[in-house]
Amino acid sequence: MRTKKIPLQGDAQLEGPLYFDRCAVTTVEPDERLQAAAMTNHAGGGHVSSSVHDPGVESIVTVDHVTKRFGELVAVDDVTFSLHPRTVTGFLGPNGAGKTTTLRVLLGLAEPTSGEALILGRRYASLDHPVRRVGAVLESNDFHPRRTGRDHLRVLAAAADLPISRVDDVLELVALQPAAKKPVKTYSLGMRQRLGLAAALLGEPDLLILDEPANGLDPVGVRWLREYLRSFADGGGTVLVSSHVLAEVAQTVDRVVIIDRGSVVADAPLDEVAGRGQSLEDAYLELTAEAAS
Amino acid sequence: MRAQLASEVIKLRSTRTTTALVGSMLALIVTVVLLHGYALPAANVETPSDQLTFLIGWGEVLGALFAGLFGAISFTGEVRYGTIRPTLLVTPRREDVVAAKCVAASLTGLAFGVIATTAAAIAGRIALAVRGLDDTLNSGDYVLFILGGAVASALWAMIGLGVGAVVRSQVPTVVGLVIWVLFVESILVENAPGLGKFAPSALGQTLSGLRPDTLLAPALGALLLAVYAATALVAGTLMTSRRDFV
Repeated sequence: MRTKKIPLQGDAQLEGPLYFDRCAVTTVEPDERLQAAAMTNHAGGGHVSSSVHDPGVESIVTVDHVTKRFGELVAVDDVTFSLHPRTVTGFLGPNGAGKTTTLRVLLGLAEPTSGEALILGRRYASLDHPVRRVGAVLESNDFHPRRTGRDHLRVLAAAADLPISRVDDVLELVALQPAAKKPVKTYSLGMRQRLGLAAALLGEPDLLILDEPANGLDPVGVRWLREYLRSFADGGGTVLVSSHVLAEVAQTVDRVVIIDRGSVVADAPLDEVAGRGQSLEDAYLELTAEAAS
Repeated sequence: MRAQLASEVIKLRSTRTTTALVGSMLALIVTVVLLHGYALPAANVETPSDQLTFLIGWGEVLGALFAGLFGAISFTGEVRYGTIRPTLLVTPRREDVVAAKCVAASLTGLAFGVIATTAAAIAGRIALAVRGLDDTLNSGDYVLFILGGAVASALWAMIGLGVGAVVRSQVPTVVGLVIWVLFVESILVENAPGLGKFAPSALGQTLSGLRPDTLLAPALGALLLAVYAATALVAGTLMTSRRDFV
């Protein structure tokens, strides 16, 4: 692994400071091995899967047979998937499918009932400087309403022992500087999403885990996010993004993991899921309907 | 831990919660002390012990209560607004988060105690002067009152933090602490002093020299209150470490 500064490709036509700044990302050696990885398609059984079997490719994230029960409710049922460098993976599923619970297990906020979820081979809580490894946005409203956006970031930067300059860097990156000294209660949903993303980017992480990041963004913001995530992955980063907006996902991701009623029903490259003469939406509805029947 | 503490300091300085709590505490203390100074029969506020217990003692009781509320809200507020999630993502070692909150809350509680007892002492002297009654407390009494109140409030902030970390929900925590101090303990101390003197608010009062006839000695009171604070913190840390934050 090596770290280098990579100029992210941006859209210079975007309004105001909503452009891509330089972002330090950790890259792995280029590996075409990913492209040549073995794939297996079990279409027809209500499950599409494809795995990268090359043992030489290190998984950034490994979710291994994770089950999470809340009393009688099985929120996540034996979920297994992995993420590899330089990919954007869409994590899809209906409301209540277990996406958010899986992400919280992965980030150490919830303990799995069985199985384990590892980032760089370790549990989240065991990572050195987790903020420098992983940037996560789980809720669009995890802010104190009276605290300013800038103070929210200062709180997190201080706890992570990051320089205050990072706060201004990420505010500029997500174009929130004009509102930085206003309380979060005055922010629109889109501004809160951008503040959450700014917090995730504070530590210049290698891995982004985003739960519904496009929710509330205007078209300019959606396009910006899409291009940002693409550039982040192309620069060596890894992204796991949950979403309901399938048309948007289809433009952004390399790979999809679809989860329904707590179980994985598809785990394959996008073109394999959506490339059989049907759109991602068609494939998604078919897969989730099959799982329900 | 130093980084977490710096983060906690920014947290408490970047909202109005601390200011609002101090303002409410001061308004309540001044009102209660002035009302008691005005309404109590002169015979009940003549001796140093009575002036401490029935007049300015409210400063200690309410100071410790508000310090407890501050400690509790430093945790329950994060749960209420969801900021506990980003907090734990940055610092997944949850005991470090509770430890930083403990240091921040106890130091703030110490300040709450000094402010509360000083305000009560000033309001009490004004009330006595207006009624033409003598202030029978000497400077040693005032020093014990203020220092004892500061230590009691610091310990109460830790108790509040521990209770908040166990209960997690803000409204039940705040309402529970208020009801306990103002109603449950008052009834206990009045009706079952043998039991009531071991209750946490009563122990705080011993530190300030209140009710010397019925309560424990200040040193023993401080020790017991510290045991309560430690117990609450251990319980809060264990619960925080073991439970999910979903």
